Amino acid sequence: MTATIVAQQAINGIVLGSLYVLVALGLTLIYGVLVQINFAHADFVTLGAFAAYFVMHALGGQYLLGIVAALLVGAALGWAINITVFAPLRRKGNELLPLIATIGVSVMLQNAMLAWFGPVPYAFETPYSQKVFRVAGTFFTLQSVIIIAVSATTIALLYAFMKFTFLGKALRAVAQDRETAGLMGINPNTLIMLTIVISSALAGMGGAMLAPVLVLTPFAGASVIVKAFAIVIIGGFGNVEGTILAGLLVGLIESFTTQYLDPGLIDIVVFGLLLLMLAFRPTGLISERREENV
Amino acid sequence: MSDAAISRAVHPWWASRRLGFLAAALVIAALPMMLTGNYWQTNLTICAINVLLALGLDFILGYAGQLNLGQSAFYGLGAYVSTLLITRLGVPFWAAFAAGVAFAGLAGMILATFAVRLRGHYLAIASLGFAVITYQILLNWINLTQGPLGIYAIPPPPAITIPGLPAISFRNPVALFYLVAGVTLLVYFILDQLVRSPIGETLTAIREDEVSAASLGINTALWKVFAFGVGAAVGGAAGCFYATFVGTLVPDAFFITESFTILAMVIVGGMGTLIGPVFGAVLLTLLPEVLRGVGDLRLMVYGAVLTLVVLFMPGGLVQAARVVGARLGLSR
Repeated sequence: MTATIVAQQAINGIVLGSLYVLVALGLTLIYGVLVQINFAHADFVTLGAFAAYFVMHALGGQYLLGIVAALLVGAALGWAINITVFAPLRRKGNELLPLIATIGVSVMLQNAMLAWFGPVPYAFETPYSQKVFRVAGTFFTLQSVIIIAVSATTIALLYAFMKFTFLGKALRAVAQDRETAGLMGINPNTLIMLTIVISSALAGMGGAMLAPVLVLTPFAGASVIVKAFAIVIIGGFGNVEGTILAGLLVGLIESFTTQYLDPGLIDIVVFGLLLLMLAFRPTGLISERREENV
Repeated sequence: MSDAAISRAVHPWWASRRLGFLAAALVIAALPMMLTGNYWQTNLTICAINVLLALGLDFILGYAGQLNLGQSAFYGLGAYVSTLLITRLGVPFWAAFAAGVAFAGLAGMILATFAVRLRGHYLAIASLGFAVITYQILLNWINLTQGPLGIYAIPPPPAITIPGLPAISFRNPVALFYLVAGVTLLVYFILDQLVRSPIGETLTAIREDEVSAASLGINTALWKVFAFGVGAAVGGAAGCFYATFVGTLVPDAFFITESFTILAMVIVGGMGTLIGPVFGAVLLTLLPEVLRGVGDLRLMVYGAVLTLVVLFMPGGLVQAARVVGARLGLSR
């Protein structure tokens, strides 16, 4: 009995964690090339979720097309925030101003959504949430299988892109040393744009898959993003492997806290861990370079 | 030339600074007489509380250069600690006020001690995490805070009796406004002395270049903890006044978005000046009241204003005033 509960919560935790990974990877990638945080990333998650919801309903239950729509909406938002906020502020060279500006964008988007969609939660039932499998006493839905499959594929593709393609190598070169990469003929502006668009597309897609798990309101993304911040710090900012590990860890912490403690304590446990990491191991789970922010 | 004359020539601002405080005191005294009625007097007190919050954050962000997204937590801690001491233990108001301020300041110092090795973005997220934890504790520790049900019937500060004069009761909203505004003016005066002292120079040196400051022998960790302590204590004072002014406390008043609102006040006014956040706080408190039509879009206006100011006028109202002053040929 107890073993089944543990197995069940482990499954739930990994499903949730893989979605957190999608959201957190975007933050980490942007931090890698730009050394900036996009606070509005949260709202890209929410807008992706709403896009998926409306497209799915317009097309009569085509959830997978909804995910694609969310991905495109995320990418478009990433493009927009780069040309309006990050690119103009990069020329000013202040490290805190872009973060503050994106806080403004986030507050604006959240309240625009509140005006538009209202505060009442949307019931996001996908055609796949009803189909339940039973394996050795544990339950999982087709929805969670899709979540795991899509996130694992996306993460693997992203990893392969970063490791093996020229563009991916150029991206890592910019992350390591923007000026030297520029001297080697790599245009950092193009790569920064590309990174923000990819990251925001991940956020939108993550939102499309998170929405059926969470309660879909204009603030859905905000509750996810605070955990995503915790994940990128626990994993080490700019560190892709660390982020994946930390994302799964936070997903597991969440499901086991819900089971054995109290759902109200999730944020306290996650952020307690965050503060402990900051105090004792600020470079993250997997140590790397990047001592300058510590 | 006498010493005094030299001093006046070197520090021409000294004279006008005193004049400025006098003018501010007169404006505070006159405001409730010009803007009568419950509606305006309520707004005036909220303005004064927000000015206090913005001044506290500005000391940390504008002078020490540390992006603190946890001001809502210090605000909440000041409110809850003082209120619980008054309602549960029957502690006198001013003792509870002192305890609330001290607790918030101490919390700020403890957070800063944890986060003192961190800069910029890491500190921003650590302080945001602190705000999230504090909010969740206020919400979930139901035995202590009554969680989302809230605490009701918080009494106003006790009346002040001066022999020979009628007692000043703080049930009167004007009297309460004078109290809050008076304390705010006092805090402004203290902070003004601080930032123009060698301490202020030390903090700005850390803001401009922490490594260089450390190489000059400045204990940067110690001063960052100090700045956090002062800024958080001022936030705590605002919380004490908020609780006694509104009379009810719910955790939602101290959600993390409150930190962003306070941030917007500081940025819109002009961080790194003291006068800027005063005007930023007043403007952003009254703007939604003036634009009654936007209703629920209040926070959307805050967000838009915050982003636009960062993009086009990062020095805020103070920078705008300087630009206008220069155009009119008023500046030196």
